[in-house]
Amino acid sequence: MPDDAPFDLPGCLARVRRRDQAAARELVEHLYPLVIRIVRGRLPRRTAEEDLAQEVFMKMFARLDQYQGAVPFPHWVSRIAVTTCIDHLRAQQRRPEFRWADLSEQEAEVLDAVTADEAAARPADALAARELVDKLLGQLKPEDQLAIRLLDLEQKSMVEVRELTGWNIPLIKVRVFRARRKLRQLFKALENSERS
Amino acid sequence: MNSTDKKWQRLAAAARQAPEERDSTAPYGFAARVAARAQAAAPEAGLPLERLAFRALGVACLLAVLGVLLNLNPAAQPAAAPEDWFFMTEDPAAILLELT
Repeated sequence: MPDDAPFDLPGCLARVRRRDQAAARELVEHLYPLVIRIVRGRLPRRTAEEDLAQEVFMKMFARLDQYQGAVPFPHWVSRIAVTTCIDHLRAQQRRPEFRWADLSEQEAEVLDAVTADEAAARPADALAARELVDKLLGQLKPEDQLAIRLLDLEQKSMVEVRELTGWNIPLIKVRVFRARRKLRQLFKALENSERS
Repeated sequence: MNSTDKKWQRLAAAARQAPEERDSTAPYGFAARVAARAQAAAPEAGLPLERLAFRALGVACLLAVLGVLLNLNPAAQPAAAPEDWFFMTEDPAAILLELT
């Protein structure tokens, strides 16, 4: 099969249901970029991304008979990935509150820059910004964290978030509202700890 | 949008600029390993032979229960004959002695 040929997902699924191992391999390879993107964005601390991706695929195969085709198959798989990540995030203890002193030098600079209304331009600043965002989001509930990550970092629309998570729009709005309120508190706490 | 929300939006915008350097294709052997594990873990209840075996087990259990019930039914025991009742309630020796 040439590389640019579209992937025959229904055909592959039918072969997987007939316990064709080669088809199962093809399905994993096809869906791996989607799953690993979700896993990397929501990876709990001290969890290997490959282990989590494997867990997602094992659940996918175990529940394959339950897939009725009501939503596109990649959306169905992404919901499994999302709930698996949330379960892992729930299972681990919340991060302890962090203060200004806990930030690396670059993270503190980035925070100074966004506070002073300056854009962080250098690639190193962008990496530090991502680290800082991960630290801040680590303080939120897993569901709130996921909602704000999808909307503000991955810039998905409400409808896309609904398709990816299976949550309804009012629930997404509540979770985003809660996440933003908590982020405000965190920024305020960081600023207070900087002054002290 | 208040100033803290703006700070968050600026920080999120900066974080989005971070390059994604990690490869997003499946590592070598990952797909084969996962497919093999999934197949090993999958229940094979869908196989016709197994379904037939389960049905046969059900029928065998039903027959066993029926057999036990039939053997325990008191109606199936042979009823006592009238002569047996006579010897159980009367003493034949005493009756003969009285006649003589």
